[in-house]
Amino acid sequence: MPGKTAPPRRITKFTNCRIVKGSELVKEDLWIDSLSGKILKDQEAFYDFHLSPDEVIDLGGRIVAPGLIDVQLNGAQGFDFSVPQATTEEYDRGLRMVNKGLARMGVTSYLPTVVSSTPEVYWKVLPSLGPTGSEAQPQDGAESLGAHVEGPFISPGRNGIHKSEVLRAAHSLEDIVECYGSNNLTGSSQTVRMITAAPEVGNMLNQIPSLTSKNIIYSIGHSDATYEQALAATQSGATMITHLFNAMRPFYHRNPGVFGLFGQTDRPRPFYGVIADGIHLHPTSIRIAYNAHPTGLVLVTDAMRLCGLPDGVYDWTNGDRIVKTGAQLTLEGSDKIAGSSATLIECVNNFRRWSGASTADALNAATATPARLLGLEGIKGSLSKGADADLIVLDDEEDPFSGPTLTIRQVWKRGVKVFDTEHDAGVVPSKA
Amino acid sequence: MRVIIRNTALEASEYIADYIISRIQKFRPTESQPFVLGLPTGSSPEIIYKTLVNRHRKGEISFKNVVTFNMDEYVGLPRDHPESYHSFMYKHFFSHVDIPPQNVNILDGNAPDLAVECASFEARIARYGGIELFLGGVGPDGHIAFNEPGSSLSSRTRVKTLAYDTILANSRFFDNDVDQVPRHALTVGIQTIMEAREVVIVATGAHKALAVEKGIEGGVNHMWTLSALQLHPHPLIVCDRDATLELKVKTVRYFESIEQAGTDARTQGPPLTYRPRMYVPGPVGLGKTHQELTPQSTPQKVPKDLRINTELSRSMEDDELTPDSMSSRMVDSAIGGLDSALKGDLFFDRMGARVLSH
Repeated sequence: MPGKTAPPRRITKFTNCRIVKGSELVKEDLWIDSLSGKILKDQEAFYDFHLSPDEVIDLGGRIVAPGLIDVQLNGAQGFDFSVPQATTEEYDRGLRMVNKGLARMGVTSYLPTVVSSTPEVYWKVLPSLGPTGSEAQPQDGAESLGAHVEGPFISPGRNGIHKSEVLRAAHSLEDIVECYGSNNLTGSSQTVRMITAAPEVGNMLNQIPSLTSKNIIYSIGHSDATYEQALAATQSGATMITHLFNAMRPFYHRNPGVFGLFGQTDRPRPFYGVIADGIHLHPTSIRIAYNAHPTGLVLVTDAMRLCGLPDGVYDWTNGDRIVKTGAQLTLEGSDKIAGSSATLIECVNNFRRWSGASTADALNAATATPARLLGLEGIKGSLSKGADADLIVLDDEEDPFSGPTLTIRQVWKRGVKVFDTEHDAGVVPSKA
Repeated sequence: MRVIIRNTALEASEYIADYIISRIQKFRPTESQPFVLGLPTGSSPEIIYKTLVNRHRKGEISFKNVVTFNMDEYVGLPRDHPESYHSFMYKHFFSHVDIPPQNVNILDGNAPDLAVECASFEARIARYGGIELFLGGVGPDGHIAFNEPGSSLSSRTRVKTLAYDTILANSRFFDNDVDQVPRHALTVGIQTIMEAREVVIVATGAHKALAVEKGIEGGVNHMWTLSALQLHPHPLIVCDRDATLELKVKTVRYFESIEQAGTDARTQGPPLTYRPRMYVPGPVGLGKTHQELTPQSTPQKVPKDLRINTELSRSMEDDELTPDSMSSRMVDSAIGGLDSALKGDLFFDRMGARVLSH
């Protein structure tokens, strides 16, 4: 604004936009404050502090949604959270690169996820993965909300691609503490926010209350649990299911397994992660789960380190090479699927097309619902006043091949714009 | 009195929005000499605000140098309550235009001392040199602002108890629960409105027809506070056709003929007479206010010409702002004959009409 000398723009007002409010998109203005990093209580600010926007942005009818939250993400930008680097500094450098890369994809907060590993790996990497908290700077990109440790206390028969050699069974709480390191589980240095473990393995079921009392979310996953075992886990405090349908006992009409939790009404039904990349799950399976329990669906990517890199051929472990074509990863020289590298917004688009969910509800599955799972309702994944000003600006256009598609145009972190396709057009995220 | 009649509520509202915009533009407000606008809340004004916001978005009008004073606010309702007039104004107008927040004046219904708040509101108006244009709505019982039937026609900003009809009517905004509707409100007085250089009233819908009839064809009467505008030099009432239902065909035709004759208010407007802009020094501090709050006792009558003003400030009730009231009434003198013709009718059925209206 000419005439103003103060360069930092403090208050931004978005106008002519549709914002996510409950299950609806509503035409409403949105004010954010870069000083507090929050969504402004604009009426109060106007009357109490005589604040008016330093910048008004006309979004021309675009959608404003909260920044996406990914509660299961193994790596991105060629960096793998589960692989310690030579020094902590090097690891942290890789992590910063991931954070910046994720922000460009609309993910403004996430749980960095470590797959089944040896205790040494946990001791090394977890201290870097703890919640960013109030030190989060907008320019740093996505922030960690705490680590997600997926394994190693999982069922050997449902290990997926987790290495069988490192799998363990916990017989007491000490086994768990020893594996992850006590500093990562308790006190001010606590870094772990979520544990995926099989309740039927070892004596895990009895450890759930101690874990949840440490403000750790217990998620049932990589599990061969029967319906009864799964129910017992929720009675002990499990509130989440890790990638529903994948790496678990399939639904069977005489024993519905973990999926059977959706059919009972005695306990609150758990949240559940869904990988809507078109590879891990059939669209109909997603629709069945969504219809059974619409308010618990959390979209996750479970993406590998190649997420966010351009298509091409990449080195993999054991001298193998992997061909990345869009979200799909195949082993070079074969059609074998080696995993997925879908971005979360792609998952939102898939989910919206397959489930018939409204645009707002599809976005909620990657924003408000994971925030509710993490106990961050009204702070993250929300556009209500006082919430963190982590936002994405989206175009909703009809793609001739895929149908209606949401495209990220801008990303705002704590009230500051960190990505804009108009300015960053053609910029490809740098390779590791 | 000028009356503009449009076919629909929308057209009437758009007429007013256009009118306000042309007034502001003609005024060429600056930071040091802002345009002072009085504003109402309610369902009729809502469309006006919508139009103003749209015109602002098109870049046709700026409110940078506009100062606003709102007519009223509930007492004791939290400021950010969705039904407060602070919220209404913010939601429908202020948040969409470029008005600087410090230019906005709304009575604070939660002020520790409501009498002081009212006095300070009057003082602020005076400090800006008075209100240039006061926009208002009208209630079905003829009230303007919260000046309910029976309000003093020389009242100023004060606490007012809401009439039972108003509470009933407004309960639709409070979950239809009469008990939730605030019982009191702060409101500008009739005299505050009368001192504005121009008053524009919007009246739309058949339920306003009786109020319009009483206000225009009836005599000046505190039971229909709208009628006080008959004593104002530049009032303008904009109605939709429904709101004219109770008017005499003769009255309607007369006002329509004025508009058709080219004395359209929008183009010829208030300065039909030469009107020098006057500087009225406002009371400096609250300690020295001359606001006419309800006096504790009957004031002693002092012969006017014997009183010597030793404070060198003009008191607010001196009718300095309306030096041309007689002449402007004579311009509209064609209605004079109408008045006398009506007088007899009104005298006989006045009570009956009031019974019907309740």
